[in-house]
Amino acid sequence: MTLKQLSILSAAALLTFSCKPKFEITEASLGDINTASYVAIGGSSTAGYSDGALNLNGQENSYTAIIAKQFDAISSTSFKQPLVSTIGINLDGNSRLIMGYKTDCKGENSLSPVRDALAGDNTILGNNIYGSSGAFNNLGTPDLSALDVNLTGYGNSANGAGNYNEFYSRIASDEVNASILGDALAQTPTFFTVRLGEQDILNSATKGGTVALPISNGPAGVGFDGSLDEALSALSGTGAKGMIADIPNVLDYPFFNTIPYDGLDIDAAQAITLNQVFNPLGISFQVGKNAFTIEDPNTPFNVRKMLPGELILLSIPLDSVKCNGMGSVNPIPDKYILTLEEIDSIKARIDEYNAIIGQIAATYGVLIVDLNTMYANFKAGTVYNGISLNTEFVSGGAFSLDGINLNPRGQALVANKFIKLMNNFFNANIPFADPTKYSGIIFP
Amino acid sequence: MQKLLFLLLLLPFQFFGQGYQVNLQGQVSQGMGGAGSALMQDASALFFNPGGASFIHSNEISLNVTPTFGNTSFLENNTNATANTTSPVGTPFSLYGLYQIKDSSKLKLGLAVYTPFGSTVEWEDEWVGRFALTRLQLVSIFVQPTISYRLTDKIGIGAGFIYSYGKVNLQKDLPIQDASGEYGTAELDGSGNGFGFNVGLFFKLTKHANFSITYRSKVDMNVKSGDATFNVPSSLEDKFPSGKFSSSLPLPAVFTFGLGITPNERLSIALDANYTDWTAYDTLAFDYENNTESLEDTKSARRYVGSIAVRLGAQYKINEKIKARAGFAYAISPVLTDYVTPETPDANRFNFTIGLGYQLSEKFILDASLLFTQFTREATNLETGLSGTFKTRVYAPGIQITYKL
Repeated sequence: MTLKQLSILSAAALLTFSCKPKFEITEASLGDINTASYVAIGGSSTAGYSDGALNLNGQENSYTAIIAKQFDAISSTSFKQPLVSTIGINLDGNSRLIMGYKTDCKGENSLSPVRDALAGDNTILGNNIYGSSGAFNNLGTPDLSALDVNLTGYGNSANGAGNYNEFYSRIASDEVNASILGDALAQTPTFFTVRLGEQDILNSATKGGTVALPISNGPAGVGFDGSLDEALSALSGTGAKGMIADIPNVLDYPFFNTIPYDGLDIDAAQAITLNQVFNPLGISFQVGKNAFTIEDPNTPFNVRKMLPGELILLSIPLDSVKCNGMGSVNPIPDKYILTLEEIDSIKARIDEYNAIIGQIAATYGVLIVDLNTMYANFKAGTVYNGISLNTEFVSGGAFSLDGINLNPRGQALVANKFIKLMNNFFNANIPFADPTKYSGIIFP
Repeated sequence: MQKLLFLLLLLPFQFFGQGYQVNLQGQVSQGMGGAGSALMQDASALFFNPGGASFIHSNEISLNVTPTFGNTSFLENNTNATANTTSPVGTPFSLYGLYQIKDSSKLKLGLAVYTPFGSTVEWEDEWVGRFALTRLQLVSIFVQPTISYRLTDKIGIGAGFIYSYGKVNLQKDLPIQDASGEYGTAELDGSGNGFGFNVGLFFKLTKHANFSITYRSKVDMNVKSGDATFNVPSSLEDKFPSGKFSSSLPLPAVFTFGLGITPNERLSIALDANYTDWTAYDTLAFDYENNTESLEDTKSARRYVGSIAVRLGAQYKINEKIKARAGFAYAISPVLTDYVTPETPDANRFNFTIGLGYQLSEKFILDASLLFTQFTREATNLETGLSGTFKTRVYAPGIQITYKL
């Protein structure tokens, strides 16, 4: 054997030895789903609101955008979103949150969510972009109540606070005469996803119950069932296939579970002072951990200590707690607290809404996506491909920095929940999105 | 020679055999499906059956090396994402020296150096299981001085003391991202040593049949002061302090029963059964010197079960110079489905082998073999949730040179 022959033989051997095993992969298909016109309706989570503002990263990685992306990989699917800028904006005029360093009232500098910019991007709200870049497939609108989904003039500022939504003004086909449902139907949807009701619960819960929960039963625009019936009846009326998500137990979200009710940690001197103030009201304090004090109009002096199981919201001004006696000398205002009574009525309302979603979805043949169980798994703690996911604020892995909406990785998991159901019921074989390719929290 | 050995020590091994066991300790056996512990043909008996080494007539030195080309591919359930290993070529080797002090003596002394466990698995960048594992390298080298004694014309016994040195390097990504979106990494690197023994009993049942029993003990590789290195965003460095760690990896005990039959001068048939006591690998624990709320000591369940392998092989002497060999083995995986990991994507398997022996001269013998195996495992790991199908294909061509003194 010559050297040349030997080297050819060796090369051939190496080639054989290094060939990789192959898999036979079933061809991806959309099954019965027609993605010619995919329309998404919902509140903040559908819009891609995350990190405390509507922002570009959240929009590009909303569960609806991810679903559309998985569709597009199989068959060209256009999914237009009313994209905003990186820093984004919320209804308070703030930018999105990012992880950064913040110095608190005690001069302590620590890693914490901070605003990405001094103010939100004020070019976003206040002008309508429908003409230049509509119509939009993603009609998700931050804060959208189910009762307002077919409210004509929901984009009209003349309707006054509470009856219009600046985010919808931006994308409406007509600020005065259009409604979200109308704008959806105008696109003759061939496939739709809906996520309604969660926002109604959140709109009340995140304000400490100071905003009323919409009633469960009543005509469209008044009750949850009538409003949802109107929406699903219209959307499915064209023969489009559709899906609706149920409502998770929002009270499990980090926003409600980060600050413990008994986080008032005091020394002997502070205990003496507080006891001097509060003992006459029948409230006493001890050295170490105590329940915070809260406003409660149902108690004699409008103040009491928190009870186990009651929740403090993440919106509470922490500097006031640390340095200005909020929660001790100054009871925490009602808007930052959910009392046991409020918690019970929120839970009861979630159950009622979910029952209604079940009934109406069945009536119109709309598939129900069980997000309630999925979020319960976050609460219990779960793991996905080596990534731990739970409801711990910041470190939990699924929620964004607002503690309410999911980060891109969490959104991808929601998208996969939708896709799983499509594969089971619409004869589709749509590959899941890979959540390891979607980011979690970014650290400096 | 010394230089070559040194080079070999530096090279990683490819996973192979059940779990992270490597069954490539001699070309004669490798050509016969890994069987042959009761066919005393060469100095590899020091490994396969220390009791039988006393029945080998010559003094000899042999060096055996088997480059292994292994590829594993992974298909994730649901995403249809596939990933491949980019593992380097493994080089398990063995070196045997067998010496009889006096011509008439029944006593034989031997030294065996071999690599019975090892694994190097490296997955492609950014693969879907990156938070479970990106790279594992496990190297172990056993050094075994051995005494073999022929009690009678029919019975031999032998015992070897094992000193083992090992290295482990484990890497994975952490699901923590910095401003550029890069994930953090964790690397555990350590070395350790352990002790054990290898004993064997050899019977010549008849003129045509031999029987052997061997037991190689468990060796615990204790890593006492390994280096844990975490690469995380600067704001989290205090939560993931790099520092020392300790751990222990069991290299389990193996019982082997062997039967060797030589119906005539040309033909030899070998049948071996191994039981590997993988129950020793119940938990993989890492104890970090610096614990924080984010970096706690870990205990990962492995729950390996004892496993059996059956090996059958034959050798045919074509002429005075050439021997042809073939064989196969069936090995049952010690890894339960819930505990399959990307570092040992193990499965029940058939190994197929062929081999050739060639008498180069009176003093030199050249042996070669080729092994092929392919196996598939579908699993969802309980700890990481990684769910999909692993497909592995291994080619292991090996060569051995024996010098008879």
